Amino acid sequence: MKWIPNFNSSNSLRVIFVIAVFILLFLSSIAYKHNQDLNESSKLVMHAYEINIQLERLMSAIKDAETGQRGYIITRNARFLTPYIYSRDKVNTSFITLKKLTADNPKQQENLQKLFKLITQRFISFENCLKYSDPKTYDKRKLDNHMFGGRILMENIRFKVDEMNDIEKDFLKKRLKIYDSEISLSPLFSISLFLVALSFILLAYRQISRDFERLKVFNKKLLISSGLISESENIGKFSTWQWDLDSDKIDFSDNQFRLLGLEPKSFAPNKATLIKYVHPDDKESVAKAIDEIVEKKHLPFVYYKIVRPDFEVRYFKTTGKLVTDQQGSKILLGINFDITDEHLLNIELQERNKELEKSNKELASFNHVASHDLQEPLRKIQTFISRVSSADKEVMSESGKNYITKIESSAKRMRVLIDDLLLFSRTNTTKKEFIKMNLNELLDNAESELGEVIEEKKATIQRIGKLPKLSVIPYQIEQLFINLIGNSLKYSQPDVNPEISISSEKVNSADYPEILEQSIKKYHKITFTDNGMGFDPQFKETIFILFQRLHSKTDYPGTGIGLAICKKIVENHKGYITADSILGKGSVFTVFLPD
Amino acid sequence: MQKNALHILLADDDEDDRLFFKDAFEEIKIQTNVSFVHDGMQLMDHLMNPDNKLPDILFLDLNMPKKTGKECLIEIKKTDHLKDIIIAIYSTSSSEEDIEDTFIQGANIYIKKPSDFNTLKKIINEVVTVNWHYHTSGLNRDNFLLRLK
Repeated sequence: MKWIPNFNSSNSLRVIFVIAVFILLFLSSIAYKHNQDLNESSKLVMHAYEINIQLERLMSAIKDAETGQRGYIITRNARFLTPYIYSRDKVNTSFITLKKLTADNPKQQENLQKLFKLITQRFISFENCLKYSDPKTYDKRKLDNHMFGGRILMENIRFKVDEMNDIEKDFLKKRLKIYDSEISLSPLFSISLFLVALSFILLAYRQISRDFERLKVFNKKLLISSGLISESENIGKFSTWQWDLDSDKIDFSDNQFRLLGLEPKSFAPNKATLIKYVHPDDKESVAKAIDEIVEKKHLPFVYYKIVRPDFEVRYFKTTGKLVTDQQGSKILLGINFDITDEHLLNIELQERNKELEKSNKELASFNHVASHDLQEPLRKIQTFISRVSSADKEVMSESGKNYITKIESSAKRMRVLIDDLLLFSRTNTTKKEFIKMNLNELLDNAESELGEVIEEKKATIQRIGKLPKLSVIPYQIEQLFINLIGNSLKYSQPDVNPEISISSEKVNSADYPEILEQSIKKYHKITFTDNGMGFDPQFKETIFILFQRLHSKTDYPGTGIGLAICKKIVENHKGYITADSILGKGSVFTVFLPD
Repeated sequence: MQKNALHILLADDDEDDRLFFKDAFEEIKIQTNVSFVHDGMQLMDHLMNPDNKLPDILFLDLNMPKKTGKECLIEIKKTDHLKDIIIAIYSTSSSEEDIEDTFIQGANIYIKKPSDFNTLKKIINEVVTVNWHYHTSGLNRDNFLLRLK
């Protein structure tokens, strides 16, 4: 599943996003807190300011009263007394306001109480001053005393007011200090945090757009390959299906419908339709295979028949595999092959095979007949002839003796024919066991087998180069060597000692395009050259055909089977044999054996 | 019946072959008692009958009616008091399969019926005079099939 792109970045993208969101949330909560505190402190400032104003009002009301009183005492004009009269109300109003404002602070309440006492005393002192300054009740000493006492009270009041203002100021300062310590984020830090969050988001954006580009590319590839698949499904007579085990959703490829003999997408497939078209004989086994695939995660080839809606029976082969996708859901991927054509062909092949086996058996029984039943009477003819002793021959007529000799040579010839025929058929039918052998050894064996004839004909056999080691059927190659050398010895020139040279070399098949199979690159070329009587080159193909003889059997005894056996043996080794000759000069037999 | 003579038994259904065999034994100069059976059933009856002396060498044809030579060979080798008889397979067939099979089943030598009376005499002479104890201990696939020197 290499073609599925790996979008691993999605996980890191998520992490980046979460971090960025957290940073932003943190920043906004800090800002909110900041705002709250600002609000709070401004309220506090307003509060202190209000108290300050009210206290100042209080003071100014008392001062107004003092000024008014002073004016009155000096001028005795009642108009100056008006501020004094109003000042009491003002003092009361301010006092009530102050009492409300300081309701949350017991110390200020206490101070306010004391201030109120002082103010009351001050007003009593005013009354007294007014009383002793009245010309009717004038008393210089008492007036001075009260005036002076008023002055001191006034200072005390001022002192108290200042004290109260200080308390508020201190409180304000403390609170502001607390707020300051609470939000200690420097603007630089906030900005850099913000920048980090921003860069994270930018990074994520970049990654997303990159993934998107890649997705686009892969999408295009997918489109192409899905087009290819559906086309190849059509041509290759196969189809695919997917079964999402988690959602139980099944998808058929278009060709699946066609293979079932239906229009593509003509029904929505489900588990039941998977086996709906299966031939009743096979329904059980297919259902079992589908159940097993979930356990084994792999479906070995299942062979079954299906019945198309038009009752045509088709042969199917199905395989499947359980895969897990990136999201972790299990998907069953299946491939169906319509193997009807192959199946029918197979049946035909099987039938032909049976016929072949039958004819092979017949051939084997023919072999048996040849090897046993034909040899038996022949052997008896020969044995009986051998029993005609020389004493018996003495009393026979010349023609009788001659007939006996002719019967003997005919029987001998028949023996050779049967033996050669058997040898030929055995090169086909006996089991072919290939063994790695040194061909030099086999050639040695062949030469020693022919030892008598070689000696008799005074032949020389020369080897040019060593023969290779090859994987061969040893007794067959030995037979090949015997037949080829034997052939050279048999067809030697009269009065010339036979000279046979055997050479071997490795050749490229490309150098012999007309003879050799080109798919095998290297061959061993083994050449047998003799100085024999040779043959007309026009027969170089036909001499390998069974029973083809170039000479009359009276000149040269032979069955016409030897070279046919050679050809058969070389073919058994996937090799080639050729012959060439110049009449009267000698012949060359060349064997090519694959490396 | 000569005493101390080698007791030879030939199981062969072919009358001519029995005749060649008898003549060949008569012509070689070794004291032998040669008797004949005509098929596998007769052979086994003969061997199982306690009145009959067991042969020193049994020449066994493979292709016989009623019971083939191979079946007899297997049966003889399974029977305790018969399994030590020297068995020479004497057959027209020279097929690898027959040679291989009888070698595995424990025959001592394989003789391909010759097509010459003199050869037959040489073969019989060879088989009768061979030191069987020595031959059997050194028996292998190569010397199992009798080849005349």
